[in-house]
Amino acid sequence: MSEAPELSELEALAAEHALGVLTSAERREAEARMASDPAFAAEVEAWRARLMPMAENVVGIAAPQALWLRIERSLGANDNQETGRGLRFWRGTAAGSLTLAAASVAVAVMLANQPTRTVVAPTGPVAQGQLLDASLVSQTGQPVPLFVAAYDPTRKALIVTSLVTPNNDPAHVHELWVIPADGKPRPLGILEPGKTKAIPMPEKLLPSLAAGSALAVSLEPPGGSPKVDTPTGPITAVGKLAKI
Amino acid sequence: MRRCASGERAALRQLYDATSSKLFAVCLRILSDREEAEDVLQEVYVTVWRRADRFDAARASVMTWVSTIARNRSIDRLRARGPLAYADQVDDLEIPDGGVSAETLMVAAGEEGRLHHCLGELDPRTEKVIRTAFFEGVTYEALARRMDTPLGTVKSWVRRGLAKLKGCLSQ
Repeated sequence: MSEAPELSELEALAAEHALGVLTSAERREAEARMASDPAFAAEVEAWRARLMPMAENVVGIAAPQALWLRIERSLGANDNQETGRGLRFWRGTAAGSLTLAAASVAVAVMLANQPTRTVVAPTGPVAQGQLLDASLVSQTGQPVPLFVAAYDPTRKALIVTSLVTPNNDPAHVHELWVIPADGKPRPLGILEPGKTKAIPMPEKLLPSLAAGSALAVSLEPPGGSPKVDTPTGPITAVGKLAKI
Repeated sequence: MRRCASGERAALRQLYDATSSKLFAVCLRILSDREEAEDVLQEVYVTVWRRADRFDAARASVMTWVSTIARNRSIDRLRARGPLAYADQVDDLEIPDGGVSAETLMVAAGEEGRLHHCLGELDPRTEKVIRTAFFEGVTYEALARRMDTPLGTVKSWVRRGLAKLKGCLSQ
């Protein structure tokens, strides 16, 4: 093959993101850029389309039988409200490129053969609440994202990534707070710079994790705010939870 | 409404049946841990279910879309282990990446066939490094360390390889 022209810096980054060689921080940056820069997002999509056939060509390995049951259980709570979305998806698929559109035919057959099902109480872990995410941006200077958070209802955990570069400041820590509609901050723990942390949510805090609740990070002495119910240091970043 | 809801699930089940073994292999290859791969796979289908309205058939095939979600989730988990993390004993897991096989040659007319043809046109070292990057989801740094080659060199191999790949695929 003859020498190909070099990729532009932007396209190289898009290709590298699609390939999956970027570091954690670079991946976050690329995702943020995709959200704000449609041209870049289109480049990434184009590279995914180029590379992903590699995955289609792998020799499959059967997932354990019990896995489908786990998946089905975690769908349970949201059946009705999700119906409309799902229909749009399948219409899209039918217009799309994969033989999976044949699924709709199979579904019709299955529906005809299925006895009326009653909903029984699920026995496994059930998703509580919705998938939410938030980007916490700095409160001084440029509004750059400093932390990103996502609430995973199936694990009942808030997954928070600090995008702050570790700087060995032993005098301060970053403490995360959730501020629900009542305006009272609840502490969620200390975040380490540059690290991702999954914070399990206790039952009593679950109602606070709703779309519209704020997440905030304050600068505190080591060990966290000396007061249980309020930050004592400056607020460095704030963001609102929104449905994904 | 109940019939719709029931149909929904059957539809997701169809998608699961059609794609889960490939996606499981992809996740397993990146994570080299069955339990984690199962967790990721569960997340993938729940995400597909909830974000189905974001799927745009005009922009991506279903398989590209679900594979992207599966790879992204797996890579995020791998990165959480640290910047140099990679699956250690991939060869022992015996997960074939479908290199060149009779099957591959038979589908030469399809998308996979074209990609494989173009990967094959690269020099063997570049092909290997791109395949490894794709299937193991490792960083440049981890690739460089593993190949005992300077980071900048690995990066330029990959970038040049990707540029050639693009040229070949567009022919």
